[in-house]
Order: sequence, then structure tokens, then C-alpha cells
Amino acid sequence: MTTFTALRAPLTALALASAAAFALAADPIKIGVSGPFTGGSSSMGVSMRDGVRLAAEEINKAGGVLGRPIQLVERDDEAKNERGVQIAQELINKEKVAATVGFINTGVALASQRFYQDAKIPVMNNVATGSLVTHQFDSQPENYIFRNAAHDSIQAPMIVEEAITRRGFKKVAILADSTNYGQLGREDLEKALALKGIKAVAVEKFNIKDVDMTPQLLKAKEAGAEAVLTYGIGPELAQIANGMTKLGWKVPMVGSWTLSMANFIDNAGPGGEGARMPQTFIQEPTTPKRQSFIISYLKTFNPKNARIDSPVSAAQGYDSVYLLAAAIKQAASTDGPKIKAALEDLKAPVDGVVTTYTKPFSKTDHEAITVNIPVFGEVKGQRVVYAYEGDFKKASEVRVKDANAKGALTVAPKK
Amino acid sequence: MQILTQLVFSGIALGMIYAVIAFGYQLTFATSDTLNFGQGDALMLGALVGLSLVGWGVNYWLMIPLVCLFGALQGAVVERIGVRPAIQIKSEFGWIMSTIALGIIFKNVAENVWGRDDLKFPSPLPEAPLKFLGANVLPMELLVIVGAVGLMLAVELFNRRSIYGKAVVATFNDREAAKLMGINTGLVITFSYALSSLTAAFAGVLIAPLTLTGATMGAVLGLKAFAVAIIGGLTSGMGIIVGGVILGVAETTTGFYLSTGYKDVPGLVLLLIVLAVKPAGLFGKTAIKKV
Repeated sequence: MTTFTALRAPLTALALASAAAFALAADPIKIGVSGPFTGGSSSMGVSMRDGVRLAAEEINKAGGVLGRPIQLVERDDEAKNERGVQIAQELINKEKVAATVGFINTGVALASQRFYQDAKIPVMNNVATGSLVTHQFDSQPENYIFRNAAHDSIQAPMIVEEAITRRGFKKVAILADSTNYGQLGREDLEKALALKGIKAVAVEKFNIKDVDMTPQLLKAKEAGAEAVLTYGIGPELAQIANGMTKLGWKVPMVGSWTLSMANFIDNAGPGGEGARMPQTFIQEPTTPKRQSFIISYLKTFNPKNARIDSPVSAAQGYDSVYLLAAAIKQAASTDGPKIKAALEDLKAPVDGVVTTYTKPFSKTDHEAITVNIPVFGEVKGQRVVYAYEGDFKKASEVRVKDANAKGALTVAPKK
Repeated sequence: MQILTQLVFSGIALGMIYAVIAFGYQLTFATSDTLNFGQGDALMLGALVGLSLVGWGVNYWLMIPLVCLFGALQGAVVERIGVRPAIQIKSEFGWIMSTIALGIIFKNVAENVWGRDDLKFPSPLPEAPLKFLGANVLPMELLVIVGAVGLMLAVELFNRRSIYGKAVVATFNDREAAKLMGINTGLVITFSYALSSLTAAFAGVLIAPLTLTGATMGAVLGLKAFAVAIIGGLTSGMGIIVGGVILGVAETTTGFYLSTGYKDVPGLVLLLIVLAVKPAGLFGKTAIKKV
């Protein structure tokens, strides 16, 4: 017994002396990353992953969280619901992650989340925008699903506001893809239009990988649409723009944030110029935080033409890790329920790229982004820029969450 | 009326894309009673190889023969590895699995080489539409139609006029008898696979400026082309063209007049009807199989 106590003091001293070195050797905190790193939505998935990597690297350089480094467990869900489910089970049961960030595709998020909910592990959705995502478990006492992306009940009214109010179009057509994302988005658009007393003159559908958009566009044209509102992903959106060029019928495209995807901009070429979409982040160094984010992103990942493939995904991916890190630090634990409780009551503001998160979540509100935060972006010269000069000038004033901001659709809780 | 013309034109352009792929199915079926289910992937490889060549500064028109050469080699490889062993052991279904497997392998290789994102194929012709009978047509769509018909005519002419073509036809009519007549039927079958992948690769670079180019571009197109081959008949070049145009026009007109949500349905219903009423296809000859 005495020898033991005698040994203890020098050991403690040793431990303290090498605390820094020790931190790296300490048990890492595992964070799952689930997203499509291949396929049609990969420009979002890869940008998100790179943003996540950047944040994790910075945090680890600064000593990690609770003296432990963050270890990312990245998995490619290929935008497939069933892959997402497999990955969720693997991350929960085998990798034993403390939390998961990611999900680009609403369908994958909805299919996979229930496993995290059951395992009481928090999920930070950083890209998927379906309105239902954070409301899937409204009927349960505890909800482990959070989000720091602009959800569709924000985006749809913003799109309608832009097309109907700001630009004065009276007749609009809706073109949406046949996935969960497109069809839920279409519903939101129709609701938002109804609030303005307007009904779309044409509501058309297209499939992933469709190569010909003639019938959809002709219907919109015949109905006299002055603008096309879109809900889809890059490659098919590009086919819409190309189809318009072919028919010699050019009306403005206003749509969900996916119109900022690199594979839309590149494949649509000149036909995609002028397309407008809500954005939480535009690749412009408007604040010191954004500037340092853009510089380190470009330096680390070196994307083509110094253009982040999906700036929104990268920024939200980056912020999602900082939000989780802040919660783990406050909870002083990697226990799911404790992290969740900390997220719902974050004491210190988190300085992110999109915004400064001051009390981003509460017990009943799991959305960090409110309708006053996104701005409109426009495709110009093969990049996304601020659509309105006024927004650009005021961009350095960070827009912070305002839970009372008007304009969002209300989401009916799932029964 | 103008709307209908536009729909028909777009449908024909779309149908010719399907037809030129379906033509590849017909070529191998004609000699060996087998199909290359990796046809869509041969198309994809052709388009991506073409894209790389153009990226290295090769002129579009100069690139086409190079891609055709690549396609022919790729087809020969498929036959040697996937189909020949199955034919030799007289396996009824072996080739189905092996051509599908090879298709998946090609797709995975392409994903690793070119990535899985859809890429833009620079158009060799102006992208501004032409006015024709009050409807808009892209110059590239005309090129697809001309190219597809030209290619099919060339192959048909080769089969009917040249001695080598006669060997192909003979192999189709009776493989055993052709063998006894001194025709190297194995070589003929390899050749037909090479020709089939060549047409697929050619189709790939032809349609790539219209569709997007990427490792997954072949899947849906290959399937639609298969439907065309069934509708038109696997033994008729004419049937392939007609079948393609029927399916293309059915898609665009249903999309417009009925609902874009159902645009794939009439084509597939037609497929079912053809299978029920005239299993050999609209233009196919019913083969009598002696057992």
C-alpha cells in the first residue's frame, strides 16, 4: 500500500508534464460522417466532407475536445437509402460513434436517423433540407436530430418571395425530380405559392438521369410560365437549362439551393447563367472567419479554378463539427443524451462560417438556420455570386438566428 | 401543331439515341444468340475515352475512329473472357451473368479513372438550335440521327455485300453448318462482339454532347435500348430504328399530353404487348428452333 502511494506522486507529475503529448494519445472521440462521396450528389457530399475534415483538423491542432482528438469515421452512403441504413448500423454498433454529421439526401436521412434516435446518439444534419428531417420524431419525448442547413420550409417561401414578390412574375411553372427531395420540395413550393394566392401554371416531374426535358419544358412554355421554379439536383437541372436553350425559350430559373452545385453550373454552361437560389454561404471573404475558412479550404483541397464545388455544403459541414465540439465540451462527456442536452442549451456562442450560433437550438427547436439567414445567390461567370448588391454590401454583418423571423412554412408534426 | 412537331422531333432524336445502342444488341444476337448486357457500359467507356482524348487536344472528328478502335478491342475482350467460355460449354445462361459482371467491372473502373460525377462533353457543333418546320432542333441531334442511320447502313451493307459479311450471316443462319463450310465461327462471333462494342462506343461519343457524360450514363440508356431491341425485333435492323423512334416519340408525347410522371409507362406497356402478341418483335422473323 505504501509503495503504491509513493509511486503515485511522480506518476501524476509525469502525466501532467506530458499532458499535451498525452492528449493525442488519449482515446479519440469518434464522429461519424455519412454522405454521398460518389454519384450525382457527390459535389455536395465531398464538399461537406472536406469542410468536416478541415474543422476536425483545426480542432485537433488546438488540442482536441476534452483533451481528446476527434476521429472522423467517413462512409459513402452513395445517396442510397439502404446504404445509409447499413452505415448507420455500422457506425452505431461497431464504430460506437459519439455523434454523426452529414446526410446530403433527405431520403437517406429519413431512412437512417431512426437508428440513431433509438441508440440515443445525436445527428447533426448539415446539408439535407427536407422539412420533415428534424420533425421525424416529434411524437417522442426526446429528439436526437439536429440541423444546421436551410430547410425546405425556409427555402420554398424564399424562392416564391423572390419570383413572385421581388421579380413580379405572375405565372410560374414548377419542375421537380421524382425523388423524396424533389417531391417534398414541390409540395412546399405549392404551399408557399398558395399563401400568395397563386397556383403554378404547370407542375412537372422528371427522373434522375433523364436526358430529354422537352415535354416538361413545352408544357411550362404552353402554359405561359414566366419563370421556372426548380427542385432537383445538378445534372438534371443542367438538362433543364440545356433544354431551354434548345427550345429557344429562355425564362429565369429560380430554385432550391442545388442550383449552386458545380455539376449544374458546369454542365449547363451559358444556359445556367442567371439562375438564382437561396444560399447560406457564398464563396466571398466577407468576414475574417469566412476569409480564413476559404483560404484554408482552397489550400488544403485545391479545388478546380479555386471554386469550392458546393460552398454551402462545405461551410455547413465545417460548422456542424464546431457545433458538436462545443456541445461535447459543455457536456464534458461523449454520452449521447448529455451531448443532446448540451446542444439544446449551448451556453457559449459558436463562431461559424455561416453565422454566429448563439443558442442555436432549444428543446423544441432543432433548426439552427432561420429564414432571415440565407441570401440569394446567382450564377454569374460560372460561379455563384450575391444576386443583390445590397446583400453583398451588408454581408459582413453576420445574420444571426431569429426564431421569430417571418416567412417560413410551419411543419406539421409527423403522426 | 408546332408543339406536336417539336415533340416528334425530340422524340425521334431521343429514339435514335436508343436505336443506335440497341443496334449493338442486335449485332451479337445475330451471330451467337447472345447479348452483351454490358452494352450501356461499352457506350459509357466510349464516351469517357472520347472525352479524355478531346481533353488531350485531339480533334472531335479525329477522335471518333480512335474511340471506335477502342470499342472494338473492348468488345473482343468481352467476348473472349465472358461469352466464349459459356458458348463452348453450351451454357444457356452463363453469358448473361458474365456480360453483366464485366459491365459492372467496367463501370467500377470508369468510376475510379474518371470519377462518378457527370461531366460536360464539349459539343463539336454550335449549340444554338436550328429552326425546322417551326420546331427547334439542335445540330447535334441531327448529327446523332445521321450518324446512327449511317452506321447501321454501313454495317448492313457490309453484311450483305462483302464475303466477310456473308460469313456473319451464315453463322447466324446455322452455326454448325457454317463451321462445316470452313467458316471460323469463333472468329466471326468475336468479330460481331467487337463490332457491337464499336457501335456502342461510337454511339457514346455521338450522344455525349447531348446527354451528360459519366460512369453511370450507360445504365438507364442500356435498359431503354434493350426495350427498343425487343420492340423492334432482335433480328431486324429496320425494326431497331422503328422501335427506337416509337419509344422516343411515345415518351415525349405522353410526357406532354398525359403526365411527365408517366412518360416511361407507354413504352414499357408496348414492350409487354409486343412480347405477348409478337414475341419476335414488330419486324423480327420468328425463328424456328429445331430441337
